Amino acid sequence: LSTQPPQEPGLVAGRGLRIVRPESFDEIGPGAVLLAGGTEVVPQLRDGLLRTDTLVDIAGLLPTGVSGGRIGAGTTLAELEASSEIPDALREACRLASSPQLRNMGTVGGNLLQSTRCWYWRLAYPCHLHGGDRCHAREGEHREHAIFGNDVCASAHPSDVAAALLALGATARTNRRALPIGELYRVPQRGAAGVTTLEPGEVLLELEVPTPEASVYLKAMDRKRWAFAIAGVAAVRADDETRVALAGVAPIPWLLEGPIDEATPLPGTAFKVELAGALVKRALASINST
Amino acid sequence: MARLIKTETEIEGRFEEVWLVVEEDALEQWPGGPREVVGRPAARADGLARARGQALFTADLRFPGMLHTAVLRSPHARARVARIDLTAALAAPGVRGAIGPGDAEMVDETCEYEGAGAAAVCADTLEQARAAIELVEIEWEPLDAVLDPVAAVEQGSILDTRARERGEVERGLAEADATVSATFHTQTVLHNSMETHQTIARWVGGSLEVHTSTQYIWGVRDQLATALGLAPDRVRVVCEYMGGGFGSKTNADDYTFIAVELARRTGRPVHCALARREEHVIAGNRNATIQHLEVGAQADGRLVALTGDFVNATGYAGWNSMIEGPMHALYACPNVRTRTNAAKLNLPPMKAFRAPGFVEGTFGLECLLDELAQKLSIDPLELRRRNNAEEDPADWKPFSSKNLLECYRRAEPHWERRHEVRARSTETVKRGSGLASQIWYGGGGPPSYAWLRLGANGHATVVTATQDVGTGTKTALAQIAAEELGIPLAHVTFAVGDTERGPYSTLSAGSSTLPSMGPAVRAAAADVRRQVLDLAAQRYEADGAKLALENEAIVFPDGSRRPLAELVGVLGNAQILGSGSRGPNPAGMQVYTFGVQVAEVAVDIETGEIVVERVAAIHDVGRVINPLGASSQIEGGIIQGIGHTLSEERLTDPATGRILTRTLDAYRMPTIADVPEIVGELVDVPDTHLTNLGSKGLGEPPIIPVAAAIANAIRDATGASVRSLPITRAEMLAALAEARERERRAGREKVPAA
Repeated sequence: LSTQPPQEPGLVAGRGLRIVRPESFDEIGPGAVLLAGGTEVVPQLRDGLLRTDTLVDIAGLLPTGVSGGRIGAGTTLAELEASSEIPDALREACRLASSPQLRNMGTVGGNLLQSTRCWYWRLAYPCHLHGGDRCHAREGEHREHAIFGNDVCASAHPSDVAAALLALGATARTNRRALPIGELYRVPQRGAAGVTTLEPGEVLLELEVPTPEASVYLKAMDRKRWAFAIAGVAAVRADDETRVALAGVAPIPWLLEGPIDEATPLPGTAFKVELAGALVKRALASINST
Repeated sequence: MARLIKTETEIEGRFEEVWLVVEEDALEQWPGGPREVVGRPAARADGLARARGQALFTADLRFPGMLHTAVLRSPHARARVARIDLTAALAAPGVRGAIGPGDAEMVDETCEYEGAGAAAVCADTLEQARAAIELVEIEWEPLDAVLDPVAAVEQGSILDTRARERGEVERGLAEADATVSATFHTQTVLHNSMETHQTIARWVGGSLEVHTSTQYIWGVRDQLATALGLAPDRVRVVCEYMGGGFGSKTNADDYTFIAVELARRTGRPVHCALARREEHVIAGNRNATIQHLEVGAQADGRLVALTGDFVNATGYAGWNSMIEGPMHALYACPNVRTRTNAAKLNLPPMKAFRAPGFVEGTFGLECLLDELAQKLSIDPLELRRRNNAEEDPADWKPFSSKNLLECYRRAEPHWERRHEVRARSTETVKRGSGLASQIWYGGGGPPSYAWLRLGANGHATVVTATQDVGTGTKTALAQIAAEELGIPLAHVTFAVGDTERGPYSTLSAGSSTLPSMGPAVRAAAADVRRQVLDLAAQRYEADGAKLALENEAIVFPDGSRRPLAELVGVLGNAQILGSGSRGPNPAGMQVYTFGVQVAEVAVDIETGEIVVERVAAIHDVGRVINPLGASSQIEGGIIQGIGHTLSEERLTDPATGRILTRTLDAYRMPTIADVPEIVGELVDVPDTHLTNLGSKGLGEPPIIPVAAAIANAIRDATGASVRSLPITRAEMLAALAEARERERRAGREKVPAA
């Protein structure tokens, strides 16, 4: 056990926050707040979105590194963007995510489990994802929100990496099971907060990523760097099959199974259909030319 | 001899008559061009200290026993505190004091916008204060809020209305060969100073000492003395290093009043600082605007009428920024009519932000003129040349100096690149160039004073209670003193930022610090120079009027020299003391700065991505003191302008009026990757009518034309007219669709004609 002093103003750590480092996953209780890179957990603590007096630091327990198509969940995005062993789409998704400082700290596992950037959620409005009964974005300011899967919650999933892994057909291994990456997520429903299917005490350990014939990740941002995707598009060609998955267009990473025109945009997100459509066209052209 | 005069001063378009004590200032301006020190690039005097972290900002200061503060701020756009109980908060660990509504200025029972303070707690640590503030028991009674600026104006919720007119607009429009009308929108943007707004207050005996991050130490002193009923000299305000303000730090504001009151109650130094998330709510903003504009012109491009109906979405307080200023002063148009309403809303008050009003007004006006140029098939640069005003068209006063035509001439090679720029377009990425003119005040003004002392080693120290807000003021003013005294820049040190240790200086806003303080510093140095030469005349038995002081030496009429150190070396600890003051601005003249910028952009017409590839900026600000510092101002203004144009916007929830973009990932300023090639040029001709220097300010001019130049470049590249800021993907794609539709209709209309 160790006590961490407050590092910067506003950190809730000053209220007697403890960090524990368990010897094994068996020691982790069901409600534990897990910490790896901390780039998502720390801001959420500061904003009161997570409340706990104990952080469980699992960085030492998580597998790290890339080996033969397996990626440890504790591998940082910075390591992955420099890896020659992973598919182009995944490497590019890592490179275009966030800033160098955050990629140095943030892990791929944490990236997959990050929360939406929906400002209503981040400001703790009582929305569906917070266990409430309405989506404030649908009626309110939603220019960055979803165009698919948005009939209950209009939030957009921010992970570039998740879209790439979904298109690549990756498998996630936890301390309890293995599951296709698509099954890690569920579209939020009324009365069912949360977008992941992990059970209490379940920890993401490893990703298994098949090697495609060609893959690419394209990302539209409001500025050139350090921004979440307005729309991100991963396209993969493998075994004569083409798969396209999108970031920033639905409450979860979205596998595109029909034409983009089947989107159900809100008034403020209609432009995303055109934008995502253009990126899909480019991504497909890219993988089919290589 | 000291004289009492009445003169007009201007800060960011707000004019005021003031009484003023000035001393005779018979100094001739130096000839134009670079001199020994002035006009040559000088690295920042405090650059290394800043880079090494040795410079102490307000945020760095720690006093023994200092307490930290958390503020309870209203979560409602408008609400009244129905009940409040501080007991539990006061009993929390580490808590030393707490205040509630009515206990300090700006801490009120009725909160008229989100973020208005209702209570505050100070404790041994910031974390204890923050834990305790959550224990304040408070019940809010939400009240109806006015959030929409158009509805506010219709309902009469208006802070100020300003109507200005010259000539006969209706006749002008009737006589016009072509008219263009359009509506423009600009968004609310945030200053985002690197150092958040903050104050440390401590009481020393019956006197108050305040360390605060401010652009105006004397203004804060005055505000506190008035609010607390103290003699002004009982209030000391200090700001040695300042981490950015951009116009948002000219007042004391709630964090100062809270720190002062908690310090009084606890007998301890108290620090009250906004967190970034508070900064994004209540630190001020450039307010959103709506601009309905019309222009009429003759076939040759000469303007005959301009009209503007403007709404400033001012917020709950602030002022009606001079958004119509460019329309009245930039071009020689005989008929101009504007009406500007400041909508009073239950949103956080605006504050001045780098050329307030003119940035927004120039976007509308200069885009409108580009649309006119297109309609008349006149080259946009030529259109502006044809409408150049020889004297201020608003009141026919002469300009103290104006070299805008020279700016246009120097813009030609940059403008000429547009053919080659356009030729680099591809099927999906279209390139183009656009330009926009700039007008702004920036002449500075009195009162401002400086002292200077020369020691026995021949080194000088300038003492003045101005503040260097990060613009390089200390360096430029030291250059002026070194030049006047004929000593190396390295031999001049500078003491600023303390009302108890130097004479009054004007505020650092409105591009005014250098043009206000520079002449006072030169006058103080000249006072010392005269004394040195008097002493030399006595010691060397020469005619003082025929002596000169240059290169650290007394120069005699026959060319022989005696070292300065030899003359003043006898002083020991004694010093030669000089003082100087800023004289008035030239009577009967208008002082303005001018410029033009040419932007080059690349637009991906499928994804709406806009990349600014190059901006050339040519500005006329009179004599340039420090070309290196000036280039920083140009770069900073353009980068901040790119954020304003493309990515920054404070968003509110339409239902509740609460701010949604409170963090730096949601509120998007440009990164270094977004910065284009920037080519800055300054005309560098002294304004012969303005002070003993002929220098104007450069802090604001470079941000003014950025948005219009980029929007006009987008039109050149794509044919699409963007009229709302920021130009997001949504805005760009919509404008492209509108342009395609327009083209399709035009094509259809052409068919029967053909």
